[in-house]
Amino acid sequence: MSFVSVNIESATDSPVKLTRRALAKQRTRERVLAAARRLFSERGYEGATIRDIAQAAGMSTGAVFASFADKSELFEEILTADYEVIHAQMTQASRNAKTVDEALLGLFAVAYAFHVEQLPLLRASIAVSWTRSEAAERRARADLKHIFRLIGEALRRGVEEGQLKKDIDAKLLAEITWDVYVGNYRRAIYDGWSVEALLTRLSEQLKVIFAGARA
Amino acid sequence: MGVRDDQKAATREKVLVAARDLFNEVGYEETTIRAIAERAGVSVGSVFTTFASKAEVLSHVMSHRLAELYAEFDRVIPYLRGSVADRLSSIFAIHYEFETRRVKLFLAHVAASYNPNGDPGVTPYGRNPRLNQMLLDVLDEGVRKGEVRPDLDLQLLVDTLKAAYAWNYRMAAASGGQVPASEMSAVMDRQIALIADGWRPR
Repeated sequence: MSFVSVNIESATDSPVKLTRRALAKQRTRERVLAAARRLFSERGYEGATIRDIAQAAGMSTGAVFASFADKSELFEEILTADYEVIHAQMTQASRNAKTVDEALLGLFAVAYAFHVEQLPLLRASIAVSWTRSEAAERRARADLKHIFRLIGEALRRGVEEGQLKKDIDAKLLAEITWDVYVGNYRRAIYDGWSVEALLTRLSEQLKVIFAGARA
Repeated sequence: MGVRDDQKAATREKVLVAARDLFNEVGYEETTIRAIAERAGVSVGSVFTTFASKAEVLSHVMSHRLAELYAEFDRVIPYLRGSVADRLSSIFAIHYEFETRRVKLFLAHVAASYNPNGDPGVTPYGRNPRLNQMLLDVLDEGVRKGEVRPDLDLQLLVDTLKAAYAWNYRMAAASGGQVPASEMSAVMDRQIALIADGWRPR
């Protein structure tokens, strides 16, 4: 985040004051985000209103709107922040792997471990993904792109190293892999599956999906 | 059935039709129980004597609809022809065709199944024994006819197919419900073909 303010009028303005203001703003955002995360987890996306979130953060709705344009922006900021936490680990897990299966299981293991820990928030985020506005959908796709790039890289390495056939439909394989990965969260939600159980299932599913693609 | 039961059944039917249409036209979150009662021409109180919550209304709307879909299948199934992949394609195509008639309703149902406040009177999306059994039957026959390797876990194949099937509705969700059923079926056909590459005996 940039602390350079457009309100700088003259060089005599004390930088300490500016920083303090910027910090206060940052703290407000963090308080809102923390309250929102808790309420979205407890009540789901629709169940948590901006008014509730403001109240939980101990501020006015106006103060919340000063930091976030609307509820969907607030929600996405939480998801993006989470995604940034795990992206580096997912990348590393994938790139350190020796085989395609290891790479895919490695990167999804990171995601499962992270999301199963905070299942209510994940439930809310998947629920929203089915009915959100087109603008929100476009923004969410940016995060997805990174994950699909990682999957794509893993498949490309699999082809280069002779594990997969040269003429595979990489895009289709990536999509089905993603489908089963996300679909498995239902097992965590409804049947209480652990991360290990999810990974075992995913590993079996990858065998089914890639059976025809192996070199 | 007594007069009271008749009346109760009639109210229930009216509420389900009104809710189905409102959920699809206006949206699930946007529709109130009061609006449903108004559209159905019944009192708000009588909606609540029949259903505990809006989530329960949605759940019953969907199971009501499935009865319609599976009546269609009972007619069609004996006439399905072709390879295992062909027959699976037909089954999914019929589902896409059916659900896209009221796609916003269907997407609301999927979304609600992830909603943290789902209550116990609700059967969530994804628990559909008929679809599961139909797919298993087709694969099972494929094993008997030598089209599908006998050493495979058929339920695992079914789960994989169902995951692909369900997630193709993302196309509809991403476009505000503007994707025709044929487009989703076409993607599904490619996914089935890809998985079929792996189940053939070698």
